[in-house]
Amino acid sequence: MTKLSRRAFAATSLSLAATAPAKAAPALTVRQVLERMHGQIGTPWTERGVDRIIVGDPDTLVTGIGTTMMATFDALKAAVAAKCNLVITHEPTFWMHEDDVTQLQDDPLYKVKLAYMKAHNLVSFHFHDHWHAKKPIDGIHQGMADRMGWSRYLKNPYDRHIDLPPTTLGGLAREFQKKLGNRTLRVVGDPGLAVKRIALSWGNCSLLPGAPYLNSDCDALVIGECQDWDLTAYAQDLVTAGRKKGLIVLGHILSEQWGMDYAATWLRGFVPEVPVKFLPLAEPYWNLKTKWTFEIIVRVSP
Amino acid sequence: MSDLTALQLIQRVIAKSGAQGRPQTVDFVSAGDPTSAVNGIAVMGQASLEGLRQAAAAKANLVFTYDPAFWATGDNLTRMETDALFLEKRAFIRAHDLVVFNLHDHLRDAMPDRIAAGMGQALGWQSDTANVNLFRRPPTNLLALAQELSAKLDDKTLRVVGDPKLAVTTVAASFGNTQQLPAIALLNGPADVLVCGYAHEWEVVEYAQDMISVGLKKGLVLLGENASVQAGMKSAADWIKTVVTEVPVTFISLPEPYWIL
Repeated sequence: MTKLSRRAFAATSLSLAATAPAKAAPALTVRQVLERMHGQIGTPWTERGVDRIIVGDPDTLVTGIGTTMMATFDALKAAVAAKCNLVITHEPTFWMHEDDVTQLQDDPLYKVKLAYMKAHNLVSFHFHDHWHAKKPIDGIHQGMADRMGWSRYLKNPYDRHIDLPPTTLGGLAREFQKKLGNRTLRVVGDPGLAVKRIALSWGNCSLLPGAPYLNSDCDALVIGECQDWDLTAYAQDLVTAGRKKGLIVLGHILSEQWGMDYAATWLRGFVPEVPVKFLPLAEPYWNLKTKWTFEIIVRVSP
Repeated sequence: MSDLTALQLIQRVIAKSGAQGRPQTVDFVSAGDPTSAVNGIAVMGQASLEGLRQAAAAKANLVFTYDPAFWATGDNLTRMETDALFLEKRAFIRAHDLVVFNLHDHLRDAMPDRIAAGMGQALGWQSDTANVNLFRRPPTNLLALAQELSAKLDDKTLRVVGDPKLAVTTVAASFGNTQQLPAIALLNGPADVLVCGYAHEWEVVEYAQDMISVGLKKGLVLLGENASVQAGMKSAADWIKTVVTEVPVTFISLPEPYWIL
């Protein structure tokens, strides 16, 4: 499917190039933005994986770029409000990693979301694998370290460990809550556990590589999300067995989204023609302990 | 000690479960020697090291667990061969002559689903006659529903998507892990709220958020796996007592794994 559409896109690109000089403003297409990204990522661009245009045409003229953690409906509304029609999203547009919509053709929400994107001339680009593979450092890792104020602790860009000023597991959890605005983070382990060295695996982290991280030279592992019967159960068993370890589960979106703030900074460096804005998302959840809050950015009738 | 082996009792429980075996099932002996003589049965949500210690202390050496002892669906052990915690847990199982059997599919496939039925019972909720996973409730709202679930399931760390003031009269349940497409179908059904154990935060959570964003009146509660199946296993233990009368059957309650700020 990708190959066919690329051929089709090449044809439209030619015809557009012929008519482009007639336009007064310099026309920047999605395709041009993506080509510049290919040149800047520092690692070979590959068609494997999930990174591709999910909705929209690569020859769409870009009015502005919105980077976001996940192209939720709220994020799309925020993009429209910010006059950004190219949405660069770390996570899927259609609620599954591969954005495989074959099973969703009759899904009412899929139809509404697609129609909204078409009506607003939106293009969504799934920017997951390459942003993690960015050289010399994973873009999510850099952006999250920046947000936490830990960039100065990043010794080796390929090392997921960070040495922090001494704290406790509870203190570390509170620091995440303060800097990420996180209401519902969850913790396994003794709140008083002494913590100096941590391992970071932003986003989803299963038993592998989670178990080796937990067993590595660190006091605590910090992740975005895992399944309770998988890495959480492993961490629990480690604690039961007497190991001095902790696990902090931040929530997937809050554990990675400042990496997309860094993506906006990165894009501004080589896309000067249009505004580039980071579109932050609210935490999806509330719980019963922290005072519940419920945010929806804007409401539009579908 | 009885003369009954773990294998005999496992076969009896499976035969009485009323469920057809799945061609590919997670229900198997994940650890221990199935020819061991059984002196007691322990039933739990997940055979954690803590759960196994309590089983051994209760002199129950046949363990029925809903979730896997070795931290992954299907207890994939080849990749854990050099893992120190795996070796320690296996050594504990061997030292106490424990036999661990995953009892998952044969509970979910029973008519009715024994986990769902047990959860409904613990909540004191009457399910729809045709659907054990659908509950009509006296009018309430999402916040009050979350508070009720928290109190009845001793679940302090549940998480909720949606407007706390959302009016709720119909609740769909998908206890345990919920898969993306079935959950989407439930969210598009008559229920105001979907209650589940766990769903990926790039699939069902965002689908529910997007429904809310376009103005649909929906909510989603994530209980956590333990709170979403544990009462079902307690009810399964009560049922096993009616099937196995020769040895004591003990339900082992485990605390929720997390704490929150």
